[in-house]
Amino acid sequence: MRVNICLTALFLLSCEPLVTQFEDLEEAVYYQAAKITTPPYRIVSFTVVTWNIRFGAGRIDWYLDSCGDRVLLTEKEVVENLETIAREMSEIGADILLLQEVDRNSKRSAYIDQIQWFLDHTELNYGVYAPIQKSQFIPSDGLGRMDLGNVILSRWEINDAERIQMALRGDQSALTQYFWPRRNIIKCKIEVPGHDNFWAVNIHAAAFSTDDTKEKHVKLFKSELDELNGIGATFVGGGDFNTVPPGSEKTEYCDEDRCPGETSDQCGDGLDYTTEQDWLTSLYGDYTPAVALNDYLMDNSSYFTHNRSGTEWWDKKIDYIFTNGGWANTTGTTHQDMFNLSDHAPVSAEFLLTQ
Amino acid sequence: MRRTIFSLLLLFSLPKAQVWSGGTAVTIPAGRWEIGVFQPLKYGQTEELEWSVHPISFLIIPNVQVKKYWGRSDFGMVSTRHSLVYPTPLLRKLRLKGFGNSTLADMDVGGIISGDPDISEIPVAFSSRNEVLITRHLGNGMQLTGKFGMALAIASGDWDKRTTVDLPLVYPRIAVLYNGYGLNVGADLIRALTKRLQYLLDVDVQLLPGSESDFFLEHKSLFLWSGNDRIRISLGYKIVYGHYPFGIQWHLFPLFDVQWGW
Repeated sequence: MRVNICLTALFLLSCEPLVTQFEDLEEAVYYQAAKITTPPYRIVSFTVVTWNIRFGAGRIDWYLDSCGDRVLLTEKEVVENLETIAREMSEIGADILLLQEVDRNSKRSAYIDQIQWFLDHTELNYGVYAPIQKSQFIPSDGLGRMDLGNVILSRWEINDAERIQMALRGDQSALTQYFWPRRNIIKCKIEVPGHDNFWAVNIHAAAFSTDDTKEKHVKLFKSELDELNGIGATFVGGGDFNTVPPGSEKTEYCDEDRCPGETSDQCGDGLDYTTEQDWLTSLYGDYTPAVALNDYLMDNSSYFTHNRSGTEWWDKKIDYIFTNGGWANTTGTTHQDMFNLSDHAPVSAEFLLTQ
Repeated sequence: MRRTIFSLLLLFSLPKAQVWSGGTAVTIPAGRWEIGVFQPLKYGQTEELEWSVHPISFLIIPNVQVKKYWGRSDFGMVSTRHSLVYPTPLLRKLRLKGFGNSTLADMDVGGIISGDPDISEIPVAFSSRNEVLITRHLGNGMQLTGKFGMALAIASGDWDKRTTVDLPLVYPRIAVLYNGYGLNVGADLIRALTKRLQYLLDVDVQLLPGSESDFFLEHKSLFLWSGNDRIRISLGYKIVYGHYPFGIQWHLFPLFDVQWGW
């Protein structure tokens, strides 16, 4: 606490605090493409994608999430990765995107505002942003300025965007927690043609927590969907849940996720999902997933969306999309071919418009 | 009439070498030493020559500054100020991987400049700032100082711009290393409010032509209380405005310092 007070006091009178903290509910930050591309207005379906894009780092061995020692990427590295991601977004035909780990004005990603960059380099027109980690300076390995968050991008106009604060991790020191991500849900209304009450909800739940923080995040997400469902809204909701589906064959990832040279007793926290097996059960029970649970249970590996190391193939599924509407196909697509663009594979599905 | 006499007394009570050093063209008296909590150690070698150095940080960032009084001109008293800084040892010390338990679940703490292996070694570098200061008495106990100067930096190799420390007060002071040169212009206005109390208004602009972070402005406002010629206390604020690599920012800082002289 004393550390917090001292650090805050240093920037007390600045226009921006050293580390930005958030209210439980805040308006999200709105974006618009420099040039609006006329979106389609006579449609029967559209494509929804969730993708943790790892701040445009591709598969570079970044120091906090992949056993690497890289910290600050060059502008060239980031732009090349963003260009590839944008190309794949267009290839998938994304009309609504739920993105996690998007940077804007962060030193590690060469101070590129990635939200504006995507809007200006794709046919997506509108975006909203909810910061997860906003700090003027993180004194860790030269990380420096950081502004990382969740994003929803859309071809159609976005309104009523909210940043919903989720619980902070309870298993960290005060100093670490002060600088650590403040995870959130971003929720907005999208003016989808033919729908007057369509919403998108995006979550990036806690990773590596060893207490009940992640469970609280999943429950809050479910309650947001329930609330929309209760008022008769249609929604697509998804993101990076950092937990595996119920019934997964494998739930313990110490061997896969430990760094070279580490022994099994040096495994990092949060790599065992065994006790989290039923955390997504109610989401699967009440809403329709883009990837049907039965399909996943018959063949886990075809739907894996994450691999930490970059040297082995995808090894777990932690990214999802749900809806209370209908998907055009029984199972959406897990784009496992996009292995080098992030440590997460995008998941897409075609939403069927019905009135 | 009383006001005029008071002003004249103040004017004549300000000799060329005034007791306390400041951002004016005036040097401190020969043989006088001064030091502050945040101010450098200063020494008046002669009535016209003043040296200053930050003694504690000298070991990791060798630095020296000299102010030379040249005489009176039509505009006022004229001095030049020249500084030389060798920042390489400090920047290399700040460049490290953090310490602590390196796990995914906890962030290392430490390391102001990244130890990223893709970033080359901090080069051997020197920076020098050379300024002209002109101080003129305006009457009513007021003293105006104009200053302009140029900073130059040389390095043994190329700088990787990822090694900048992008913080207010810090970034503007090291930015010249990355740009090679910079210009500065500024003004100080001091007014005697009472025999022991002065008020200082100051503005400094730094320009870095050709850089994406090309403009910085610092303004401070201070009350200076001198108990005698042995102790001085200052209290006020500083505003910093700048074009940083990530955009325009401004910050407001409280200022407090105690200086001792002998």
